[in-house]
Amino acid sequence: MKQPKLFLIAVIALLPLVLVSCIGATQPKGGWSGPTVKDGIIYAGTRDGGVVAINASTRSQQWDHTFTSTIIYATPIVDGDLVYVGTYSGKVYALSIADGEDMWDYPRDGYMGAIVGTPVIANETIYVSSSDGRIHALNATGGKRKWESEPLLAGKLWTSPTVIGGTLYVSTYDGHIYGLSAETGKLLDWSFESQAGFTSSPVIDEGTVYVGSFDRYLYAIEIGANVSGWKFPQEEPAGSWFWASPIVNQGIVYAGCLDGKLYAIGAETGEKIWEFDAEDPIVCSPVLMDNLLVVTDESGTVYVFDIGTELGDEAVPSRTISIGASVRSPFCARDGLVYIRGEDNSIYVVDIDKGEVVEGWPVSLTAEE
Amino acid sequence: MEVWNLIIANPVLNVLVALSHILGGSFGLAIIALTIIVRLITWPLTKRQLNSTKALQEMQPKIQELQKKYGKNQQKLQQEMMKLYKEAGVNPLGCLWPMLVQFPIWIALYQAIMRALATTPENLLDLAGRLYSWGIVNQAIPLNNYFLGLDLGGRGNIALAIIVGGTMWVQQKMTQAPSLDPRQASTSRMMLLMMPIMFGFMSLSFPAGLGLYWAVSSIIGIIAQYFVTGGWGYLRLGSPSQSAPVKGR
Repeated sequence: MKQPKLFLIAVIALLPLVLVSCIGATQPKGGWSGPTVKDGIIYAGTRDGGVVAINASTRSQQWDHTFTSTIIYATPIVDGDLVYVGTYSGKVYALSIADGEDMWDYPRDGYMGAIVGTPVIANETIYVSSSDGRIHALNATGGKRKWESEPLLAGKLWTSPTVIGGTLYVSTYDGHIYGLSAETGKLLDWSFESQAGFTSSPVIDEGTVYVGSFDRYLYAIEIGANVSGWKFPQEEPAGSWFWASPIVNQGIVYAGCLDGKLYAIGAETGEKIWEFDAEDPIVCSPVLMDNLLVVTDESGTVYVFDIGTELGDEAVPSRTISIGASVRSPFCARDGLVYIRGEDNSIYVVDIDKGEVVEGWPVSLTAEE
Repeated sequence: MEVWNLIIANPVLNVLVALSHILGGSFGLAIIALTIIVRLITWPLTKRQLNSTKALQEMQPKIQELQKKYGKNQQKLQQEMMKLYKEAGVNPLGCLWPMLVQFPIWIALYQAIMRALATTPENLLDLAGRLYSWGIVNQAIPLNNYFLGLDLGGRGNIALAIIVGGTMWVQQKMTQAPSLDPRQASTSRMMLLMMPIMFGFMSLSFPAGLGLYWAVSSIIGIIAQYFVTGGWGYLRLGSPSQSAPVKGR
């Protein structure tokens, strides 16, 4: 009988197809760490798993620090003389702002769970959410552990915490918002439970938490309340998740959605003020620069809205700039310039007034030999 | 790739997520339910394969007779066997089809598991664009990774690998006819061992959810084979020289 032989040949021929189709889905790809700018230096996580410092004036690389076998999703944060970065392998590193030298790392031995959300620094403490389901609080100067919370969920604590006063607020994928003492890490009496999990990190304004959910709504939850104040859209859910955290300014919530829409929503009422359809998913939080609201979509188009003017029901951007590279990383804005890390592992600097990428940019983040 | 996502990958993903919601948030039960659905969809092919198997079992005495008669003339043996298959209306390759049809399902299932369980941040972000707007789907996210102590998104453990390999061996052994030709007997023995070992090994390397699918699929296959072919088939035989005990012969 030829049957077994043919069977064997068929299996052997098709097995690579199975394997090839599967490769790539199990491993994270490059991360989406964004840039931070301080004193004319841009610090950004790279798709190669490192941190690079670039002089914004000369476009030259000041230093680079590549970590071993990791990916970086968290945006580096700069405080004092140190650059802090959390890695997907589960370590927090403090690098010298001057030369990128490793000053300390935590944990010294082994790893905590994967770090995806950007750590937060407040009161000389770094608060890190980790895939071990806990929040870790570290002393910002020496990296000594202050406390670690009890597990808030079984893994995938991929959102960033928010610190308001002495309280740390955390949203989780299983639909909880917890308040923790920033001093001790103990859970406070108030927590909020939703039927659907939360996609975005919490944003807090005037005692209200604004957070996106897997059920395609954006929720406003008053701290201390057991039910949400409002949800947006008020009737049918949006076309996708509110993945990026919204921002709140002067009573208006600006929220980007993965369905490509940017919404301006009354913070008190939850009613839509205006919307704009970018058509491509909005993955990053909007950024406010005086009266200018800047938002990017995944295709790499930057939209600028003058929120000091009447925008009507269907807002029209005052500027539309395409950088020509896909964008998933958070971006930052300083002095009329917007700093964006593209998925092509390059930093783009966009001049909002001129409506174009500044001459000489993009600059590659690939570590120099 | 768009066609693949539209026709196979996204439907499998959404059905899995919806099943998970229906089955009380258990992704493991959703995988089992999907396996049963896949087995039901491929049942006409499976039935044909089982009937072919049964016919092959019944033809064993004649095949062995031909092997004895033309053992030294391979070409003539092949010709006579093909003639015999043709007369009996049996396609010896018929058993391949259910397996081949399941390949795309395996690939889609693998992708669905990785995406639905969002094993990487990219997978979670990617998931948003693949879910249908059904309320049942959106309320189910995020899914519970764990089932009977297994992390369905993580690599399978040794127990799962043994179950996958063991059930596959039993299923194959039930249908693999003994041969008098030493060369064919050797190939059969190799196949009987190679496939379960390969799938057992793959269960250790791939997400446990896929291993769960393979194990459940094999168990369903064993049950279907038992009832359609009427018993344990060649599983009960110790020696390749013995003929197959087929009901009604």
